[in-house]
Amino acid sequence: MSWLFGGKTEQPKKEESLQQTLGFDPAQVSDVSSILSAPGVLDSARLHPLAGLDKGIEYLDLEEEQLNNVEGAQGLIPSRSWTDDLCYGTGAVYLLGLGIGGAYGFQEGVKNLPKNAPPRLQLNTILNHITKRGPYLGNSAGVLALTYNLIDSSLDGFRGKHDDINSVAAGALAGAIFRSSAGLRPMGYSTVLMAGAAGAWCGLKRLLA
Amino acid sequence: MSADHTRDPCPIVILNDFGGAFSMGVIGGCVWHGIKGFRNSPYGERGYGAISAIKARAPVVGGNFGVWGGLFSTFDCSVKAVRKREDAWNAVIAGFFTGGALAIRGGWRHTRNSAITCACLLGVFEGVGMMMQRFMAQPTMAPQYPDQPLTA
Repeated sequence: MSWLFGGKTEQPKKEESLQQTLGFDPAQVSDVSSILSAPGVLDSARLHPLAGLDKGIEYLDLEEEQLNNVEGAQGLIPSRSWTDDLCYGTGAVYLLGLGIGGAYGFQEGVKNLPKNAPPRLQLNTILNHITKRGPYLGNSAGVLALTYNLIDSSLDGFRGKHDDINSVAAGALAGAIFRSSAGLRPMGYSTVLMAGAAGAWCGLKRLLA
Repeated sequence: MSADHTRDPCPIVILNDFGGAFSMGVIGGCVWHGIKGFRNSPYGERGYGAISAIKARAPVVGGNFGVWGGLFSTFDCSVKAVRKREDAWNAVIAGFFTGGALAIRGGWRHTRNSAITCACLLGVFEGVGMMMQRFMAQPTMAPQYPDQPLTA
């Protein structure tokens, strides 16, 4: 019968080897809750030391191969590719323009309040001024930032690296394109202005990083 | 590690959505108003008409898209923070608030109608998205194995 149930001498040896591979004695375990309630079983460092479970949830922790690997392109926030740069840059500048324009419109509206008007009319005046100034400045700034980011990323792609020269050149080109239909003199002004803004942004980025 | 690495975590993704929607609107507006300006101009001035239509209209389209996308993303994040779960209803509720907020100067009736319309639209989007996801996921559920075992 030993060929069917196994020899008596072999039994303890098998259990010992099982205990070594499983980490607990299968004969002593009665149900799942006794495994789970054993101290140290759910310790995240012991469960899988390489998975980094003890670090908790990591935000903005992008996987390495997805990151932008153009030389010098590591900016203030981690970015995956040029689309991330484009979206964040355009969004930030657009919101900034919207906010500044809205604030300017607000003070203009407060200054131009009609005398002895009901409060509803006064509110309407202020809102009209905000919505007149805010979107105009925001749209213009957003289009400039969009052009700048597109040109900047294209230059990065062409040259294979990202540096301040790219940035200033992209700013100058974006400024030139933005006012290209207004004549040579406004085009020159906006080119110089945008190149200066791009240079200032590079300096600010270096200061913050 | 969070599971979804294609989108950033909540407060900062609003900026991304603002920029993405604005860019989409500007580029789409360039195409749309370029063609429209070209077709609506007299012969000989068609290029000029296209350029001036793009200059006048594309940033406005971009701004409308951007404000919509940014507001939607803001409301989406707020709804997520309040409900503490992620499902299709988030988008519907956020769409409701977005539609209402954008129409709030048009009066109570306009606000209500716009909010309901926007919520329905987002509901349809989510439904179609789910159906597409299910449709696309079907073939990978049951992979086809060849009858003959592979020769080594």
